[in-house]
Amino acid sequence: MSNQHTTPRMLPLLVSGSLILAVTVLASLLLGAGEISPARAWAALWGYGSDEALFVLYELRGPRTLIGALVGVALGCAGALMQAVSRNPLAEPGLLGVSAGSSFAVALALVLGASISTLTVFVAQAGALVGCALVMTAARLNGLGHNPVRLILAGATLTSLLMALTSLLLMFDQRSADEIRFWVIGSVAGRDMSQAIQVLPFIGVALGLLAFIARPLAALALGESVARGLGEKPARIRLISVLVVALLVGSATAIAGPIAFLGLVVPYIARHFTGPDIRRTLWLSAVIGPILLIAADTCSRLLAAPAEMPLGVMTALLGAPVLIVMIRARRMPLL
Amino acid sequence: MGMSEPSMVAEPPKLVPPKGFYLLRGHWAGRAWQLLIFKRSLWVNVALTLGLLVLSTLALGAGQVKLTPLEVWQALWGMGTPVQELVVRELRLQRVLAGILTGAAFALSGCLMQTLANNRLATPGIIGIDNAATAFAVASVVGLTTSIAPPGMALVGAALATFLAFLLAGQTGTQGYRFIVAGIGIGAIAGALTQLLLSQVEIDTANAAFPWTVGSLNARSPGAVWGLGLVIVPSLIVALGLVRGLQLLRISTTITVSLGIALKRLRLVTLALSVMLTGFAVAVAGPVGMVALLGPELARLLNRHHGVPLFGAALSGALMMVAADWVGRWMLAPIEVPVGIITAVVGSPYLLWLLLRPATSGP
Repeated sequence: MSNQHTTPRMLPLLVSGSLILAVTVLASLLLGAGEISPARAWAALWGYGSDEALFVLYELRGPRTLIGALVGVALGCAGALMQAVSRNPLAEPGLLGVSAGSSFAVALALVLGASISTLTVFVAQAGALVGCALVMTAARLNGLGHNPVRLILAGATLTSLLMALTSLLLMFDQRSADEIRFWVIGSVAGRDMSQAIQVLPFIGVALGLLAFIARPLAALALGESVARGLGEKPARIRLISVLVVALLVGSATAIAGPIAFLGLVVPYIARHFTGPDIRRTLWLSAVIGPILLIAADTCSRLLAAPAEMPLGVMTALLGAPVLIVMIRARRMPLL
Repeated sequence: MGMSEPSMVAEPPKLVPPKGFYLLRGHWAGRAWQLLIFKRSLWVNVALTLGLLVLSTLALGAGQVKLTPLEVWQALWGMGTPVQELVVRELRLQRVLAGILTGAAFALSGCLMQTLANNRLATPGIIGIDNAATAFAVASVVGLTTSIAPPGMALVGAALATFLAFLLAGQTGTQGYRFIVAGIGIGAIAGALTQLLLSQVEIDTANAAFPWTVGSLNARSPGAVWGLGLVIVPSLIVALGLVRGLQLLRISTTITVSLGIALKRLRLVTLALSVMLTGFAVAVAGPVGMVALLGPELARLLNRHHGVPLFGAALSGALMMVAADWVGRWMLAPIEVPVGIITAVVGSPYLLWLLLRPATSGP
C-alpha cells in the first residue's frame, strides 16, 4: 500500500460502514408494523418483556434481519464481481438474467413435484450457473463486450424469455403457481431460518474464493495481456468468477427470491468511495449490500403498514432511478 | 443518340416509372396527380391480406366444435345452422377480431417508434410503455376502486412512460441506447408496481388478472375491443399520410427538413400515434410487446427493406397475433397458453440473435 495518500484508506471506510450497518440492523429489529413499540422491542432485546415481544423479536424480526444481511452480502458482492469480470458498470445479476435463470430452475423443480419449503438450494444455484455462463459468454462475444448497454438489452431479453418459460411451466400446475406467486417478487419476510443456515456454507465458500481471486481480478482490470504478464490466467479467473457469482446469486435467490437492482446499486455506491480498485470495491460492497437490503426491507414494512410492500418492489423502485442516473451521465464510468 | 433523332426533343417528356414501380396518373379537381406504387409492397400486402383471411377462417373453425372453412363462411354470412352461427358469430368472432386489431395496433405502433428512433430495438415493449400501461390498467382493475375504464388508464400509463423516457434520456432524445435503457428502468418500476398491486389482492382476483398481465386475448372486455377498433382505422389513415416524411427521416433529418417537411410536427404526431395505439392495444390484450418487434421485421423482410412498410407491418402483426393465439389454444389443450407467452418464447431468441450477432451492421 505505497499509494495510500492517493487512494482512500480502507479502514475508516469499513469501520464507518460497519457502524451504519449496526444502526440499520438495530432499526430493523426495533421498527415494524406490529404493535410492538420500539421501546418494548428494546427491552425484549435484553431479554425482558412479554412473550409476544420476545416472539416478534427473536422469531420474526431477528431471522428476517439475518437473512436480509446474508442476501445483501451475496448480491452486493455478486454485482461487484460481475461488473469487474464483464468490465461493464451496468452488469447486474438481476438485469442480466442470472436471477431469472435461478427462478426458472426453481419453478421447474416445483412443477416436477418439489415443495418450496423442502427445495434444496442446489436447484437455484444450478439455474444461476447456467444463466451466468450464458451471460458471460454473451459478454465475450464480438462487439458486445464494449457496449455495456447492449449487454443489458440482451439480459432483459433473456429475462423475459425465462419469465415466459416460467409462466408456461406454472400453467401446468395451479398449486405451484400459488406457492411461487409470492416468491417471485422477492422478499425476506417469513423465511425459514433453516434455509438460511443451509445456504450459509455456500456463501462462506463463495466469499473465500472471492478473497482468493480478488488480486488476480485487479490484474485483469489492467487488461488481458497485462494480467498474463503478471502471471495470472484470465480464463481460469473468469471460470472461478462465474462459479462464485452462481453460488452467491443461487443462494440469495433460494432464500429470498429474485431481487433485482441491488447488485447494480451497491457497487455503484461502493465505487464512489473507493475508486475503481476491485479489491476495495468488493469488500466495501460486502458492507453496503446488507445495509441497503435491510434498510429497504425496514422501509417496505413501514411504508405500507399494516400491509407490507414486497422487497423486490422496493429494490426496483430504489435501483431503477440509479440505472437511469448512470446512463444519463455523459461518460459512463468504464471498468 | 440525341443528334440522329432531333424529333425526340420536341415531344413532352414521357414519365417512365422507376424499375419495380407502378405509376398512377390522373386529374382531380383540375390538378394532375401522380402516385408511385412499389410493386413488391403492393403484392406483399395482397398476399398478407389473403393469408390473414385464411388464418382467421381456420381460427374461427378451431375449438371444441370443429367447423370446416366453408361452414365458417356460411355461418359468418348467416347461412349456417343456428349452432354454427352461435359458435362463430357470438363466441369466436370477437376473439379473432381482437387478435387482428391488437396485432395490427402493436405492429404499427412498433414500426412507427422504430422509424422515429432509427433503431429497430426501440419498440414500445422494450422501452417500458407496455409495462406502464399494464400497471395502470391493473390498478384500475384490481387495486383502486376508480370507475375509470382500463383502456383510459392504460393510455395514461403509456403516455406517462413515454414522457418519462424522453425526459430521462436527456438531450439525446430518441436517439441511441440511452433512451432504451431509460425505458428499461421505467419498465422495471412499472413491472414492480404491477406485482405489488397483484400481491395485495385476493388470490382469486390475482389469478383472474394473471393471464392478462402476461398478454392474452382471453381477458378482453368488449368495450376495449370496440375502442381499439374505432382508434385503429383513423390511425392507419394518419400513419399512411406520414409515410413520405418517415421514409425521408430514415435517410437524414437534413434532407427531410430541406424538402419542406415540418420535422417537429412529424415526430410529435408519430410518437402520439404510437403511444395511443400501444395504450389501446394493451387495454385489450395486455403486454404482447414482441409483436411490435416481429411484425415490422417480417414486413421489412418481405419488402426487401424498401421504405417504411406501415401497412405491411400492421398486416403482419395481425397475422402473427391470430396465429400465436391459435397455436396457444391447441398446443397444450385443454390448457390455454396466453398469446404473450407464445410470442415471447418465439420472439426473444430472435431479439437475442439481433443483439448478439457479430457487429457487422448497427441494429
